[in-house]
Amino acid sequence: MLAQEQYAFREVLTRKGILFCYSGYLTEDILTGIGEAIQKKLEMEQASRQTSKSLFAVFVEQVQNIIRYSAERETQNNGDDTVNELSFGVLSVGHHGGRYFVSCCNLVRTDDTARLKTSLEHIQSLDRGALISLYKQTLKNGRPEGSKGAGVGFIDIARHATQGFAFDFMKIDDTHTYFCLEAYV
Amino acid sequence: MEPITLEATKRCPEINFDFAANTFLIKGESYPEDVDSFYGEIIEALETHLESQQGATIRLDLELIYFNSSTAKVLMELFEMMDAAAERGNDVLVAWHYEADDDNMEELGGEFAEELAHARFELKVLET
Repeated sequence: MLAQEQYAFREVLTRKGILFCYSGYLTEDILTGIGEAIQKKLEMEQASRQTSKSLFAVFVEQVQNIIRYSAERETQNNGDDTVNELSFGVLSVGHHGGRYFVSCCNLVRTDDTARLKTSLEHIQSLDRGALISLYKQTLKNGRPEGSKGAGVGFIDIARHATQGFAFDFMKIDDTHTYFCLEAYV
Repeated sequence: MEPITLEATKRCPEINFDFAANTFLIKGESYPEDVDSFYGEIIEALETHLESQQGATIRLDLELIYFNSSTAKVLMELFEMMDAAAERGNDVLVAWHYEADDDNMEELGGEFAEELAHARFELKVLET
């Protein structure tokens, strides 16, 4: 029964072409570990070095997005000035329909969804030249308000996602919305 | 100033800043958890040093295999600092090394180079 249930779960993943799947708290060491496995797997599949690098770049930006921005996080105050934080997200990497994908999902604050949607739609509408100039402009002008990273993560994902990307939101309640971003290489 | 030498780690590149020789190297992969805590001090040290230079020959080598978007922001700052040093009358060269088949890294090198009005720039293929 146990194996049957687990095998059925595995079958679901296999049908979607998923090579790696992770659901839980993400840390930078997990990022590095899965990242190494992805690179090794792509090397064995003899994917081109360019494909492998692009997929890795998309993967790093997506996972660091979860680590920095997931609205689902555990925080522990250490008593000194430091804080331990763990961010929750669901990550899958696979190969389907002749292209690789990296899919990342996490909770975001419902208040932030409009801003995210506008920003992602804008990035999606840009051609390569415009994307590069927005990338440079964002690097120079610094990060937008409310952003902990350089604010160029999404642009970088778009630059490396040679087959484009898709995103979606599902409102959970007034506070939280489930956000998914899937990039294709 | 004493040289800054840092070995590469999992997510951080090798750093070799030789202030006396005015040669500066960043090499490897760069996607640190916290960009500011890795780069903050060394970039500040470099900036202070550059401001004290007059008529010097200065060289920055970037041999990056991969860097994330937060690192890109640091690189942009570095380019601006090197260009400012050149504008003050130093002979500044920024060399951008990339792997032969890495079109993306080659393209980025060219894009970053557009920020340089005074410093010289070289695109170089890394020998593998």
